[in-house]
Amino acid sequence: MSALSIGRRRKLKNAIWIAVCGLCAAGVAAVLLLIMGYIVREGIGAISIPFLTRLPRPTGIAGGGVANGIVGTAIIVGIGAVMAFPVGVLVGTYLAVYSHKRMAQSLSFVADVLAGVPSIAIGIFAYTLLVEPLRHFSAFSASFAFAVLMVPLVIRATEAAMALVPRELREAATALGAPESRVVLKILVVAARPGIVTGLLLSLARVTGETAPLLFTAFGSQYWELNPAQPMAELSLQIFSYAISPYADWHAQAWAGALILIVAVFLLSVLARLSILLGREGNSIGSAL
Amino acid sequence: MTPLQRPDTIELPLNPVPSRLAEQCPDMDMENTRTALSLARVAVRPPAPPVQTAAHPAPVAAAALPSKVEIRDVSFFYGKFQALRGITLPLCDRRVTAFIGPSGCGKSTLLRILNRIYELYPGQTATGEVLIDGQNILTPALDLDRLRAQVGMVFQKPTPFPMSIYDNVAFGIRLYERLPKAELDDRIESVLRRAALWDEVKDKLRQSGLSLSGGQQQRLCIARAIAIEPEILLLDEPASALDPLSTQRIEELIAELKADYCIALVTHNMQQAARSSDYTAFLYLGELIEFDETERIFTHPKERRTEDYITGRFG
Amino acid sequence: MTEQAVASRLDRPSPPGGRSLRRAQRIASQCFAAALQSSCWLFMLVVGGLAAELIWGARLSIRTFGIGFLWSSQWNPVTQQFGAAPFIYGTLVTSVIALALAAVFGILAAIYLAEFAPRRVGTYLGLLIELLAAVPSIVYGLWGLFVLAPIVANWIGPALQKSLGFLPIFQGTIYGVNVLTASFILTLMIVPTITAITRDLIAAIPTRNREAALALGATRWEVASQVVLPAVHRGILGACLLAFGRALGETIATTMVIGNRPVISASLFAPGYTVASVIANEFTEATSDLYLSALIELGLILMVVSLIVIGLGRLMVRLFIR
Repeated sequence: MSALSIGRRRKLKNAIWIAVCGLCAAGVAAVLLLIMGYIVREGIGAISIPFLTRLPRPTGIAGGGVANGIVGTAIIVGIGAVMAFPVGVLVGTYLAVYSHKRMAQSLSFVADVLAGVPSIAIGIFAYTLLVEPLRHFSAFSASFAFAVLMVPLVIRATEAAMALVPRELREAATALGAPESRVVLKILVVAARPGIVTGLLLSLARVTGETAPLLFTAFGSQYWELNPAQPMAELSLQIFSYAISPYADWHAQAWAGALILIVAVFLLSVLARLSILLGREGNSIGSAL
Repeated sequence: MTPLQRPDTIELPLNPVPSRLAEQCPDMDMENTRTALSLARVAVRPPAPPVQTAAHPAPVAAAALPSKVEIRDVSFFYGKFQALRGITLPLCDRRVTAFIGPSGCGKSTLLRILNRIYELYPGQTATGEVLIDGQNILTPALDLDRLRAQVGMVFQKPTPFPMSIYDNVAFGIRLYERLPKAELDDRIESVLRRAALWDEVKDKLRQSGLSLSGGQQQRLCIARAIAIEPEILLLDEPASALDPLSTQRIEELIAELKADYCIALVTHNMQQAARSSDYTAFLYLGELIEFDETERIFTHPKERRTEDYITGRFG
Repeated sequence: MTEQAVASRLDRPSPPGGRSLRRAQRIASQCFAAALQSSCWLFMLVVGGLAAELIWGARLSIRTFGIGFLWSSQWNPVTQQFGAAPFIYGTLVTSVIALALAAVFGILAAIYLAEFAPRRVGTYLGLLIELLAAVPSIVYGLWGLFVLAPIVANWIGPALQKSLGFLPIFQGTIYGVNVLTASFILTLMIVPTITAITRDLIAAIPTRNREAALALGATRWEVASQVVLPAVHRGILGACLLAFGRALGETIATTMVIGNRPVISASLFAPGYTVASVIANEFTEATSDLYLSALIELGLILMVVSLIVIGLGRLMVRLFIR
């Protein structure tokens, strides 16, 4: 075989493989667009003011809405966030500031471990802790499950963001004689704020739309319910029960609900990304001068 | 070797009259010093009589400035690794002492002992004594916050806090004093004037400190450090991250600040050391090779290694 | 000390208001340290509680069925006989197939993004693939139920049966909701994980390694396959483990498309059941303590296996993303 033909064969192999890889990447990205396309196409028709503001109608009767589900999702995720954010930020701060201590290293490991627990198992935990003893379902138990899901993400984002803060900043504040609490709170946390906010937003995106733990914690409801101690409607639960039902009207509502959900999650993801970009820009405006 | 020219911008009666080390720091016991210095392998000069020239008035030797800081046989360990060996030298008040040497020689390490900032990191320990105004600051019982109120530090990389320029300077003040707003405003203005930054920032005090240029940020850091009225200033390569123009302004600032503070300056730029300092300590591989008046070290260094370093043969 | 020495600042009295300021600062410092400590303990408590509650809830089932629970294929609420085998089978089959497919597509896509794609294309494509990870599970399930399941039932299934029908996995009645559809959905869900991590690992390889090979005349594919991939293959294995762990625990999407029948069948076209799905479907219907305990034991098994797999995966990635 001549050297020229070997070269040509290698070039051909090169081109084929690059094309294959490109197709894989394009294919995966195309699937996302496909799914999005379906949801928009199927769901947009059912989106209407009544849909967004009415309660669900009884089985098989058309014209219901998911208003209580939207509100319920907001409440459950909100309470979960209130529980998760302080703990997550505090633990993340501890891990960043005292990273040399043995407790910090084992805590970091535990946080990573918790991030890998399936959400259904966390749902069982919330059930045995808060539903079984009290003998009824509640939105609060769902919030608890969500909080447990969110905490590892917040811890990791906080720890990473604070580790990125240059150590000279901490030294400069300490060199002025500032006590550690002030150094951490007024300097380190403020400097790490964009990264922390991103972590909070990403954890919100993670649990919005999470369904499995809700099945036996919030349980769902047909009515307006604002009391977290009671079972509550939730959008993803509604989508689930509508989807597996035999009614076409409910299927349409399931698509519409999915559209709302995916828009909300994407908004949160985009906001999270923006937070990092904005934070970085604010810091670099002057240093380019 | 040509004598390095010193810019004639400093009014203090010290230059360019050569004077004895002992007369500058009379409370140093000359005998012990000689022994200590010879232990550190620094050659001992025979004492020279003070020279008075007609153009310059007599040096202010009589009301001489005491050594503000005395470093005695200080060693430093990063874990098991010994970074400094038995360093002994004085830092005089209202003078600039430069630490020079190749990278890794321990000059920054030495500086960081003086405000015990190394204690943020476990595994780093210092032995020996560092006396500030006669009090050993390496004792474990010392109130570190008070030490750091007395010793200010400026770092190589400008590190403005993520807050407004006003709050940056006020941060330190608020740690120690509760001042009414008018008084705080005045303090901040005077400090920013001192740091030669007031004119540039007086209209944007509420803007973030990060919106300033590199040179301005570093001057802000200097303002922040002097706002708490320390007596000693530690400058760790303050101009190395800046452009030449900003570097020049920082050096001018150091020359002005010298009148009120005991300044320790770490620099890898020998010309800067020659321009800005009164005394120079040359460190190499953790040991103090030579300590002398700047003019003497740069014109007639006693040690071979000092001469090699200054002439650029290594480092 | 000579008289000329200035009084040490260390001995000087504090400035006005200074002492009370320092006291307030000391109290603030202590509160802050206490807040940090207590949040750490709270966190440890929650994690410990999770393990404890699951073990406690499963104790009845563990005591009743012992180790045989793992390979018993009986699941009968009426006779109170419970065994995990069908679910473990379903979980493993779907996750393994998903991993195989996702690894192929994910790694090749990552190589494209990291090595061959022009800068802008790479950024946007990468963004799209990352957004795929943000899609909630229920949305995947919905799409899988109404779009993918019919496609599998009407096109992919018959095509596979016609061409590879001699294999037992492609025989039998073709349902829409079956193990294969579930595997496909899982593939979609875990591809972004593999792609993102692989891409980061590849990007961490210094450019000079590539330049050295290119300077010798290697084509870009040869550089990617012979220089870059061997350097990161252990990290990629870690990424695959992480993805596998995610697939094991996936609940809602699989529940909606797997058919939910607790049988072990050789055919991929038959319905199946995963551990997560049976918990999701039957937890609120558990009529007896033993029933509930069996479900909790399933949850415990799932959690332990996921933790081991994900823990291992994270370890491997961490060792190589340095």
